Amino acid sequence: MKITHEIKDQTFTIHLNGELDASSSVLLDEELSKPEIMLFKKILVDCDRLNYISSAGLGVFISHLQRFEDAQIKLIFYNMQDKVKNVFEILGLDLLMTIVSSYDEAMTIANE
Amino acid sequence: MPYSIHYKRLYTVAATVSWVLLLINSLFVNSSSYPSALAPYAPLLGKFFKVCFIAFTFLTQRVSVETYRGTDFIGYLWKLFIRAGSTAYVCALLYFGYLRYENNSPGSHPILLGSIYYLNYAFLIYFLGKAFYIWRNMILFQKTRALQYEWKWFEIVIYATLLSNFFPLYLPNFVPLLGLFLLYTLFLCIHLRWVAYLTSTKKWRSIFLLIGIILSLITFYNIFTNFSPHQQSTGNLFEDPFVMLTCTFVGMYTLASLLVAVFNLPTSSVFEQKREDLLNFQRLSQSIQQGEDEPHVYKLMFESAIKASSADAGWLETQDDSGGVSIIEAENIDLEEVEQIRQALDKYHVSAVEYVNNNLDHNAGFKALNLPWRSLSVTPLRSQQRTYATLYLLKDVEQGFDREILNVIRTFTSQTILTIENLRLVAESLQNERVKEELKIASSVQESLIPKTFPSDSWFEISCFSQAAKEVGGDFYDFLQVSESRIAIIIGDVSGKGITAAFHMAQMKGIFHGLMQDDLQPVEFMQKANNALTHCLERTSFITAALYIIDYKLKGFFFARAGHCHTLYYNSMTEETFYFNTEGLGLGIIRDKSYGKRIHNMHYDYNPGDVMVIYTDGIVEARSSNQDEYGEDRLREMLSNTYHLEADDIKAAIINDLNNFSGEHIHDDQTLIVIKFRNDQPNLIL
Repeated sequence: MKITHEIKDQTFTIHLNGELDASSSVLLDEELSKPEIMLFKKILVDCDRLNYISSAGLGVFISHLQRFEDAQIKLIFYNMQDKVKNVFEILGLDLLMTIVSSYDEAMTIANE
Repeated sequence: MPYSIHYKRLYTVAATVSWVLLLINSLFVNSSSYPSALAPYAPLLGKFFKVCFIAFTFLTQRVSVETYRGTDFIGYLWKLFIRAGSTAYVCALLYFGYLRYENNSPGSHPILLGSIYYLNYAFLIYFLGKAFYIWRNMILFQKTRALQYEWKWFEIVIYATLLSNFFPLYLPNFVPLLGLFLLYTLFLCIHLRWVAYLTSTKKWRSIFLLIGIILSLITFYNIFTNFSPHQQSTGNLFEDPFVMLTCTFVGMYTLASLLVAVFNLPTSSVFEQKREDLLNFQRLSQSIQQGEDEPHVYKLMFESAIKASSADAGWLETQDDSGGVSIIEAENIDLEEVEQIRQALDKYHVSAVEYVNNNLDHNAGFKALNLPWRSLSVTPLRSQQRTYATLYLLKDVEQGFDREILNVIRTFTSQTILTIENLRLVAESLQNERVKEELKIASSVQESLIPKTFPSDSWFEISCFSQAAKEVGGDFYDFLQVSESRIAIIIGDVSGKGITAAFHMAQMKGIFHGLMQDDLQPVEFMQKANNALTHCLERTSFITAALYIIDYKLKGFFFARAGHCHTLYYNSMTEETFYFNTEGLGLGIIRDKSYGKRIHNMHYDYNPGDVMVIYTDGIVEARSSNQDEYGEDRLREMLSNTYHLEADDIKAAIINDLNNFSGEHIHDDQTLIVIKFRNDQPNLIL
């Protein structure tokens, strides 16, 4: 699992590359727990190369969801593979989280 | 050894008899009352008895000394001195006693004189025999084959000289030969390895004993040169080559041992130190087998290092994981001085590296402290991963730590690191063993939480499969008879794996049994369960579950899906296999009242022959060696092909296909429940 981030136009974008399992979800948690992340109003998660997400990985997003919502930070997932999207849907997370198909769409929603 | 005891007795008796005969023979000769028929043979008989006596006495000693074993050299010397050397002083007593007696009652006392002479003679031969063979043991200590051979020849030649009694030889003719033989004796006398094995106290004791033995020899010599009555028939004692050679050998070897012992005294402390070091290394490496703990190992190392380097002061501090330092051993130094030295070292940035300062006065920082020491050595005990401790040694003199000493200290510290690391490994493996045991218990507890007996009745069949990826898992299912005609079935999966998941799974079972006592609708149950979990589930955990309440009177079931895998269903009327694609959020994701909006109650009427398959994601997410997922489609395909079978067989077919797909190794907990409805009249028994 490789987790990188990029900052552009006051948007914090996280790129996930590989399989988000129990051990790599710790890295993701560290990334999302950074205090400076709260300075941004928009957090984008690029799931293009995310091949698999475990329940631990979902848990990390879930645990930060409320915090971002309280701080009125938008969390948007884009470019998600069907396989991974299915996992979000089964759990019912697609109704709680914003999942869109492309970066442009994500930026449109983010700038609303 | 019965064999040698037997010989020893024989030799002793033979020696005694020949001595008595020798004495009688000489007494007869002296009192001129020898039987006239035998008179011409008297000197020859005398010589014969003498040779017999000497030979048998030596043989007795040869056998008896052989029984002395081991490397107790002081014991050998002691035996020689007490048992044989002391006879010299008895001889002296007898000799002076006789002189006194002669003064008090003048005249000749041939019988007394002869008896004392031969008694003394016996003592001398006994002493020589014992010394000869005890020295043989010493010479042959750590022997080689060649040495053994050399000794054998020496012994043969010595014994052969006994024969010279019967041939009148003119000794001066043999001086060159004798000289050669003496050189050979000298060569044997340089085998003195045993001296090196004595500690310095033992060396002192051996020196005194050797002096005692030499004095015995001198006493014998003086007595026999002064005390040589004409009447005896043995000839001048020291003219006998055998006695002369053995005396020379015994004297030479004793003197050589004495000299070597004396000259070895100053170096013996070095050897002792080396031996002590070796023993300490050994003790350090054996601490694990002896069940020692870390403080003990450090203490052993500290004491050994102080001794090996003969340091005047020192201390040992250990470092814990957080970098905290504590002094666990100190000698001849107080805390204040330790603090001062440490500060000085910090100033020079050498507090955590190997550092030697052989003249502290050259550094202003140390000189200002006005310490009583001149040399300092700092040795960290460090492995590749971490530093365990640091050893500080101090000496009164400059240039106190040379390369030799530092090498020894380094060897001690590396051995200690090894021992400490091994000790920790042993402790860790014990801990692992304990954890494994506890996991086993947890596993069996969890096993007992999963129902073993399934509700059975004529209107439906049920078959379950459950397998945890680790010892304990997060999957669960359970049944509860909520009323006469209704049965509740729950299946769930806790996020994560292992112990935490297992705890939450047990919690969920409790919630299921607690809430379902009130005969709740599936949605109500999910709301209340979500509420209950709010306070007992950590923020990153959630639970997916599906609850089914089957009512055979209504021939239908209510169900709610909280983020759990879709239910697979075969409808026998339409002959279709499909998933119930319903919405529903997992438990513990939203932790407030709004959860109620995210969960929905469903109802479905079943027909006889319908099959319902409920499972956890471990089934559909199982992977093949190519990393393909088993997937919902394949599962549905399996049911389409097997719906006509009994519930048990459908389950077996699916599990079989799954195992073929993914191989033996499983990554996630797997649970599969197959329920098949039948047309028969209900007669429910739980």
